[in-house]
Amino acid sequence: MDFHWSESQDELYRRALELARRHFAGPSRVWADHAFDRAHWDICAEFGLMGLCVPEAHGGLGLDALTTARVVEAFGRGCEDTGLVFSAAAHLFAAVMPIVEYGDDPLKAALLPGLARGAAIGANAITEGEAGSDAFALRTEARRDGDFYVLDGAKSYVSNGPVADEFVVYATMNRKHGYLGITAFVVARDTPGLRLGAPLAKMGLKSSPACSLYLENCRVPVGRRLGREGQGGAVFQASMQWERSCLFAGYVGMMERQLEQAVEYARTRRQGGKPIGKHQAVAHRLADMKLRLEAARLLLYRACWLRDRGEPAVAAVSLAKLAVSEAARQSSLDAIQLHGGVGFAADYNVEHMLRDSVPATLFSGTSEIQRDLVARELGL
Amino acid sequence: MSNSPATHDIEQALKQYVAREILDGKDIGLDADTPLLEWGVINSLEIARLLGFVREQFGVVVPLESVTAEHFKDLRALTGLVASLKG
Ligand SMILES: Cc1cc2nc3c(=O)[nH]c(=O)nc-3n(C[C@H](O)[C@H](O)[C@H](O)COP(=O)(O)OP(=O)(O)OC[C@H]3O[C@@H](n4cnc5c(N)ncnc54)[C@H](O)[C@@H]3O)c2cc1C
Repeated sequence: MDFHWSESQDELYRRALELARRHFAGPSRVWADHAFDRAHWDICAEFGLMGLCVPEAHGGLGLDALTTARVVEAFGRGCEDTGLVFSAAAHLFAAVMPIVEYGDDPLKAALLPGLARGAAIGANAITEGEAGSDAFALRTEARRDGDFYVLDGAKSYVSNGPVADEFVVYATMNRKHGYLGITAFVVARDTPGLRLGAPLAKMGLKSSPACSLYLENCRVPVGRRLGREGQGGAVFQASMQWERSCLFAGYVGMMERQLEQAVEYARTRRQGGKPIGKHQAVAHRLADMKLRLEAARLLLYRACWLRDRGEPAVAAVSLAKLAVSEAARQSSLDAIQLHGGVGFAADYNVEHMLRDSVPATLFSGTSEIQRDLVARELGL
Repeated sequence: MSNSPATHDIEQALKQYVAREILDGKDIGLDADTPLLEWGVINSLEIARLLGFVREQFGVVVPLESVTAEHFKDLRALTGLVASLKG
């Protein structure tokens, strides 16, 4: 066992962190509540964030999962705008990687260079009003008509939807076939019959826009199918393995910044004649934050390492997702408690981390669903 | 093929697995034609476990391209798949 990063991994991490800090950090502004900003997206895209694990032949950086996670972690640590990191990761892991792994060659050649550079934005649409945790109960239908598939249905929560150019959409070709009746498609924004709802108002991740998606008699060329008919469930599960590991590295980075900020505050804020960090109750809270961060981080690295070796990683990935998301939410609450009234005030860049962390235990499968997956792997 | 003793054994083993591990003894009148996908007996989690059982019990790895509704729709289809993979 070896816990060292290679020189090139360290160099990438350092560059990503420096870039994120230069553009997206600093106490001079409140980072939580601004809208999606294409100029910010482009700065990250210029670095290569939108195509980290896309093969170089298709315009990406060709990184493995572990190195990808490490770079996403750097962005999460340096960038106060967690919504921006989330949007970039949702694009890469849930929209671009399914095309990398399941698109045919002409489709990959047509779409990947633009998506990997971030010139085009991707979104993923599976969730429906009646199909959330039970995603494969979806009702959006696809039927074959000559060289096209005709899609009809409604998707309720599409991250990046308002700004996306390409949508990875999951539909059923035969509801009787359940999980094995689902097929994945890439639908272009300008396809007739595709309509977007108004942007959703949300608690956090404000700079990551989301909306509903409606498909009415939407004709999608056969070449835009991902994988085979009936393979959509597997396509989606593969994308979730990416998301549950590498996207959550952004929250590991956020927790590291949060801990640095909290330690600094505990060292400088004085009450009762001494820095608050000298009160054991405060110090122990920080020790617990550190424990949560390091435990979650190790689970995450190991999940990525297993994936890179092609070993079974379902349980490892779910454990990592569960640990990171629950840790982020709990430590964000602790950070507010530790900062007192300043932690609650909106203009100190403390409270928004809680609002950005609450959804982490919901998307990519809720904590309950991750525990279910782990339990299954235990043989229950 | 469908009536050979070997095929019969495969079907019985699969049936017992589904009855015991998935249905937990629940009586749904499980037979070779029960629509496993349509009735939601086999979902995404169960398919993964079932593939594990097939690997351990019969020593065959079902290739990804064979994980289709056609092969998993009922015990008869699944038995045919396992029998053909066992060669
Ligand atoms: C920030 C954010 C971004 C998102 N982005 C996207 C996106 O880009 N594309 C997309 O398609 N979707 C997206 N979603 C939707 C997300 O995938 C769903 O919200 C999630 O899968 C949960 O589904 P649901 O909201 O319908 O909740 P439900 O499934 O209705 O769950 C409600 C509660 O019941 C629990 N529950 C449900 N089933 C079980 C069970 N079997 N056992 C135990 N408990 C259970 C859940 O854990 C939860 O606590 C996003 C959500 C959020 C918050």
